[in-house]
Amino acid sequence: MSRMDPMLAGGDSDMTTPLLSVKDLKMYYTVRQGEIKAVDGVSFSLDHGGSLGLVGESGCGKTSIAISLLRLLPDNAQIVSGHVWFDGMDLVSLPEDQMRQVRWDRISMVFQAAMNSLNPVYRVGDQIIEAMQTHWESITEAEARERVAELFDLVGLQPTFMDRYPHEFSGGMRQRAIIAMALSCDPDIIIADEPTTALDVIVQDRVLRKLEEIQKRLDMALIYISHDIAVIAEVSDRIGVMYAGHMAEIADSVDIFERSLHPYTHALIGAFPSIKGKKKELKTLPGEPPDLLDPPSGCRFHPRCPRALDICREEQPPLRDHGGGHLAACWNPMEVD
Amino acid sequence: MTGNGNEALIRVEHLEKRFPVSAGLFRKPKNFIHAVDDLNFEIPVGSSLGLVGESGCGKTTTGKLIVKLYEPTDGHIFLRDPDREGYTDVAGLRGSELKVFRRRVQMIFQDPYESLNPRRTIFDTVAEPLAVQGIGSVVDREEKVAHMLSLVGLVPAGTFMFRYPHELSGGQRQRVAIARALIVEPQFIVADEPTSMLDVSIRIGVMELMSELADHMGVSYLYITHDLAVARYMCQRIAVMYTGKIVELAESEELLSNPLHPYSRALISAVPVPDPRLSRDVIEIKGGISKPIDPPPRCRFFTRCPLADKECETSDHPPLVDRGNNHFVACYKV
Repeated sequence: MSRMDPMLAGGDSDMTTPLLSVKDLKMYYTVRQGEIKAVDGVSFSLDHGGSLGLVGESGCGKTSIAISLLRLLPDNAQIVSGHVWFDGMDLVSLPEDQMRQVRWDRISMVFQAAMNSLNPVYRVGDQIIEAMQTHWESITEAEARERVAELFDLVGLQPTFMDRYPHEFSGGMRQRAIIAMALSCDPDIIIADEPTTALDVIVQDRVLRKLEEIQKRLDMALIYISHDIAVIAEVSDRIGVMYAGHMAEIADSVDIFERSLHPYTHALIGAFPSIKGKKKELKTLPGEPPDLLDPPSGCRFHPRCPRALDICREEQPPLRDHGGGHLAACWNPMEVD
Repeated sequence: MTGNGNEALIRVEHLEKRFPVSAGLFRKPKNFIHAVDDLNFEIPVGSSLGLVGESGCGKTTTGKLIVKLYEPTDGHIFLRDPDREGYTDVAGLRGSELKVFRRRVQMIFQDPYESLNPRRTIFDTVAEPLAVQGIGSVVDREEKVAHMLSLVGLVPAGTFMFRYPHELSGGQRQRVAIARALIVEPQFIVADEPTSMLDVSIRIGVMELMSELADHMGVSYLYITHDLAVARYMCQRIAVMYTGKIVELAESEELLSNPLHPYSRALISAVPVPDPRLSRDVIEIKGGISKPIDPPPRCRFFTRCPLADKECETSDHPPLVDRGNNHFVACYKV
């Protein structure tokens, strides 16, 4: 009955290999009070040119996954076990000098507060050119400038702004410059961690549509991380719903909304107000997300779950395929009619 | 006026706030940001108004003017006075009158991590307005605070009273902020993005709480938010602001399903929909918001508007006019 998703079988599979395959990844933070199991056995895969949205509330581990993939970990964090297969390499055990060639060049990332990471004393364009020249030694200054102009246009900034300083940019403009920088080396994968959260809705919409357009055109894969399931719905072909360090459910976007199996996914969607359609009644989810220093036994969602059974308190449910690549980790999934 | 027939609780007339743009240390400022410019609206008793718009549109300034954290440059804010049949002009209040005003109008801020004093217990924080207002004895206050805490869902109240903010989660802190605002039984609350820092599963609980308390205690809100979906659920009516002006004001459902102003249309079309099955029409507008520093008298949206023509360029900013059904729009072209 329970069949592992072939996509999760690892890098040595004979099936069409996904671009990126994460297997049973565990990343813990060590703090004074103990160990925070921020990512605790997460598996997923990403196809060439695909887009995966990771959605969940603060502290569910979505950003921790992103920094684990690129091995940009703070001092108190470590990858305890698991694999990240990318192009025949396991990024978890890859030597740092080789990892440096993957980072930015092949997998780049837009951070949440990236707009504050521009150096204030250099022109914005020059900072992107410098990043490009570090990775593409053959590129000339003129080519690089031309590319920055193109990238600026792509993200909706006036190309002439490349000669301005960060303080002359608004927050939204800086964030778009950062996205341009992330695109500059033609990566295979972009990881975007809440890239539009600080932006106003019209600018956000513009950035999202640009990102989607660029992703389709360059056949680039995208991992989009957000707490906002509406934004995730717009940009992702597949959605992974995370809860307290676990992947609760992962499926094609429409399936997540039409046939969500995990009660948490169901609750998350039911709690999200929309301006479209009939004004549905929003449903409250009782309780609060757990303390990851001392997570609940069994399924971590069980204390808040309306469908919890005895087994949910005792045993952690595995991420099981319920058909058609729809995976859910639940002992008592929602019934689908 | 831009109300809905019911008696107005608060009436804003020609409200204006200008901030000087610094010209240097010893120079007199020559330029002004017109943060709030000739605002007119009413909030009827028992109804809430959502004030939506992008950052820098003047919505927070409007809220701060109403609670008297800012003094207006010009214009009036009238608050209904339940003691005598009439209205008090908020601008001129001093001394004991101001104290009464502070009891009637309260504010809830966006960031529950910054709006609570970390060195005070929850009891101190919630009881403070009572102490300032000189309401009740110390024993009464304890009872009142306990009652209020249980109303906002912090139960059992006894276990929360003598804890400190850092021991509470974001959602719980925002409940404390709500308790503090409500303890003096105000008529009117300005809530500035009260749920935008909270996670989805927590947010709905706080929104529901605010709605329930509004019904239960007869409070009206000016609900300031960038999130149209939240405004839809919290408010009977929504006003859309753009660089210091209200460009459209209508019943929430009417505004969202039938926006008339080109800016509202673009804004509404840009809101992501939490459902991949629904598509939305994208209405593109050019450019971005710029600060309204000494803007020309014409329509503020002129340079970005797809409908703009000669008339818009040469006329003053259009007045907010009722197009029927209490649907007010400030545009010459719709």
